[in-house]
Amino acid sequence: MRFSRSIVAVGIALGSLAFFSACSGPRSVRASAKAEKDRKPAPNFTLGDANGKSVSLADYKGQVVLLNFWATWCGPCGLEIPWFKEFEQQYKSQGFAVLGVSMDDDGWSAVKPYIAEHKINYRVLLGNDSVSQLYGGLDALPTTFIIDREGNIAYPPHVGLAGKNEYLSEIQSLLVDKPASAARHSLRPPLAALVLLAAK
Amino acid sequence: MPLLSYSQQNKLTVDSASRITVKRGAAGVTQTLNVNILPGFHVNSNQPKDEFLIPLKLTWQPGPLEAGAITYPKSEDIKVGKDVLAVFTGSFAIQTHFTARDSIASGPAVMTGKLRYQACNNEMCFRPASIDIHVPVQIE
Repeated sequence: MRFSRSIVAVGIALGSLAFFSACSGPRSVRASAKAEKDRKPAPNFTLGDANGKSVSLADYKGQVVLLNFWATWCGPCGLEIPWFKEFEQQYKSQGFAVLGVSMDDDGWSAVKPYIAEHKINYRVLLGNDSVSQLYGGLDALPTTFIIDREGNIAYPPHVGLAGKNEYLSEIQSLLVDKPASAARHSLRPPLAALVLLAAK
Repeated sequence: MPLLSYSQQNKLTVDSASRITVKRGAAGVTQTLNVNILPGFHVNSNQPKDEFLIPLKLTWQPGPLEAGAITYPKSEDIKVGKDVLAVFTGSFAIQTHFTARDSIASGPAVMTGKLRYQACNNEMCFRPASIDIHVPVQIE
């Protein structure tokens, strides 16, 4: 009797896990997320936005961030921008933000007209060589990092034009994770059910 | 903490310029600069279709010769996403017409210039760069 109850309990738990996986959308087709213990902190920086306000990457801790290094003269960067606008609109309420860092040498005189012309709806900062060095030199654009709620780089960087679905799956997989503080104190329902039932 | 590095180096190279001989007060000579783009890459032409793109541009510093008209090759159109770009690919030549004033001293000299460019392939772009150009000159 006890044996059959355990079988049923494990079956329910596995079914729940499968259901939650399906609900969380497609997983990455490029590379799996790095294990949390293997993730490295995204180097912090402080840069000015188009309104002259200083913004630090650290201000975004607790949110999933798509950090996109780009330039107005970069054609492939321009292909990704409509996707990022869409992501910002769709996921902002779930604790997600797109942060664009322009690497234009000509500064805001080049970037502001581009923001206006392309109706960019997310925050854009003006990068510099120091930030570039923090992120490996950034000779090739676009280069995009997906950062988890803890402020760590969760996936290998996208260097060059990436697929919209790749970004989507990576963003979605991090958004289904609970905020860092809550995640430390609770388990996901299916896993909790598995532990409780197995203990019986 | 370097995370990655992609080099701008070698996307564009320029062949060593041959010596040109210019006669003072004469009609001048045309110097040809041979430029090579790495296969799979392109650079914006001297007249890109989009105002935000950085054109290929050859400039000459003041020197013993006077640089006149600079002639770029005909660009080719390529499609990246929905955009059509005017680019240069492969090997091509840029020509500059030089003249020497009557008052200039005869003998060997060098004209120096810069070729500014911005290279991309279909997936990524590289930061704008410049190559120094040196053209040996014999003034007669």
